[in-house]
Amino acid sequence: MYGEIGNKLVQHAKRTQSLAHLPPYQTELVRAVTREVRDLDKDVGTILEPFAGSFDPSTEPAAACALLVNHLCMRRNKRCLLAYHRTRTDKLEEMCWGGIDVLERQQEQQANKTGISDDVGKIGADGAGSSLSPEEEEYVRQYSDLLAAYKGQWTDIDLTGSLEPPKDLFIDVRVLKDAGEIQTEYGAITLTKNSQFYVRQGDVELLIAQGYLQRLS
Amino acid sequence: MDIDDLLAEVSVDSISQETRDLQELTRSWVAERVAPEILPWPSDLMERVLDRIRRQIELVEDQTGNMDPKTNFKLIVIQTELERFKFLVRSFLRARLKKIDAHPLHILARHAASATDLLPLLSPAEHQYLTSHQALLTSHYASSFLSQFPASLQRMDDTTGGISMVDKPDEDAAVFVRVLRDVGEVAVEGTDKRLEMKRGDVWVVRWSTMRGWVASGDLELI
Amino acid sequence: MALPLPPGLTPPEIAFICEMELVTIIPRQRLEGLELLGGPLKPLNPPQRASIPLWLALLLKRQRRANIVPPPWLSPDSLSAILKYETEIDAFSPPPRLPPLPSGTSLVFSPPFLPGSTADATADALPYHWLELGSMLLEAAPEDFDDANEVRKLLRGLREARMAKLRQGVEVLDAGGGVKMNGVGGMEVGEARTFITGVVDGLRKIGKSREEARKERDRENGYSPSQDFDDDEMDMR
Repeated sequence: MYGEIGNKLVQHAKRTQSLAHLPPYQTELVRAVTREVRDLDKDVGTILEPFAGSFDPSTEPAAACALLVNHLCMRRNKRCLLAYHRTRTDKLEEMCWGGIDVLERQQEQQANKTGISDDVGKIGADGAGSSLSPEEEEYVRQYSDLLAAYKGQWTDIDLTGSLEPPKDLFIDVRVLKDAGEIQTEYGAITLTKNSQFYVRQGDVELLIAQGYLQRLS
Repeated sequence: MDIDDLLAEVSVDSISQETRDLQELTRSWVAERVAPEILPWPSDLMERVLDRIRRQIELVEDQTGNMDPKTNFKLIVIQTELERFKFLVRSFLRARLKKIDAHPLHILARHAASATDLLPLLSPAEHQYLTSHQALLTSHYASSFLSQFPASLQRMDDTTGGISMVDKPDEDAAVFVRVLRDVGEVAVEGTDKRLEMKRGDVWVVRWSTMRGWVASGDLELI
Repeated sequence: MALPLPPGLTPPEIAFICEMELVTIIPRQRLEGLELLGGPLKPLNPPQRASIPLWLALLLKRQRRANIVPPPWLSPDSLSAILKYETEIDAFSPPPRLPPLPSGTSLVFSPPFLPGSTADATADALPYHWLELGSMLLEAAPEDFDDANEVRKLLRGLREARMAKLRQGVEVLDAGGGVKMNGVGGMEVGEARTFITGVVDGLRKIGKSREEARKERDRENGYSPSQDFDDDEMDMR
């Protein structure tokens, strides 16, 4: 029955929405749906051929019906393909916004799968293990550039920064070991042992984790 | 003019431009977060706000490293406030981008139609993002499958068969509004409803009915 | 994904807006005047009281540089009176009286930019951000209250009484929307938004075909409700 493969694609799309990662691209399904559309189009041509351009639907209800069904199927398949591809590009964009280097991650996953860690340079040469189609890899590259260009117009704002309202921006810390000069978002401050500071949390999280600073509650 | 009006004029005029801008920025942000449609880009407001933010950042960069405790605390206050403003602008921009990504063709058409309005719908940067993003997606669909389709089905914006492929947001979605100035009687299209909207009221109404008054500043979204 | 949040404001965002409300503080340390992004901050000279935004008051309080003066409505007497009203009357208690309108097309101010929580604010009405403001002050400055526990108890009572009203109010919702909710609070709108708009939108979808027919009839008869303002603004389809 026409449209069944399209349904499978839509199911894949639905699943993708609820997953944290991107499942492998369904190349065969995509090809099959596209093939179906071309077959339906051929059928249309076959139906219309005997009329040589002067087809009147009101006098040929059976043919008109068949044409309508074909047309609706083709459009439905188109929507399924669009939905499938769009769901995946949405996910890829989400990763870009989250600062994830999608292509790098793909390479790591491939290396892990094939167990060859120094082949990290390959980008899906044989496609094995890559979840993205080659077209999707190209899309990610281009979208990252687009995002970087848009972000670049708002550097003061830090467009991909936190979407939660700021809270407890500054915290009290004591310096446990001399840490020299550190860079904060706005400039340098010098951390000498036993001194206490009221500093931006974001600037010192790492130093707290490393044991140079102690947070005072 | 009675005493109350005089006092009102004086007190409102004595409120600084910065505070007015914060009122407007906050109002614009809330509106963008709750309205189903994207609203016109408040270009003058954004220019002033971004300019002030830039100058404040420069001030902080100049002063950081100055270990005088008095200066230090002033910087803490300034930085705390800066983060608040950055958040406001950031959330505002991304709320708009979300809508742009969701209904690009519809918004592109609206933006083109707004060319003769006082306020264009999108900022130049947003327009650039939209058109580039659409071009990327179109080219991606083409290379992935669409170029192999029959020519008559290759368009992204067709509306044949009575089914539009151009998605638009639900303009009749219900929103919460607060009345800033008396509006009088409002009719809700397609129903018998007549609402008497007075200053200070809070109503739950469909967006399409409220759109014009929000644009004119008589109502705000909350 | 540009913004992974549904339409509406999250509770932290509502609290963020509330932090712009002005409150009265009693400074304990001097602070020079500052040109802040949100407007100029006058110098703080103890013991002179000052009106500053809540976010700054909380910052000063944390650093022990100031005490906060709870607004008049955030007292046991006021809250009890309002709670009594809330339990006796079906509607929300009325919000504070509005200041006179500025003339012409000047910017009209609204919460959090209306002075509803300074020491000279009204005592007999809950301002829009009553719940968030009350909670934040109780958490950050309980010792600045005469009776923090009583205030906490009364706030809780008010919250419950008003939540019940919101739930009941759902019964009068209909497809046209058009439900008046004067006196509702910020956090309450935030919490009820999805539910209330969901009901209204759902009812609308059920009655859609009847409405479409009606709209067509009205338009044929030359009736257009959107004639009151510039058609350019409305031409957004």
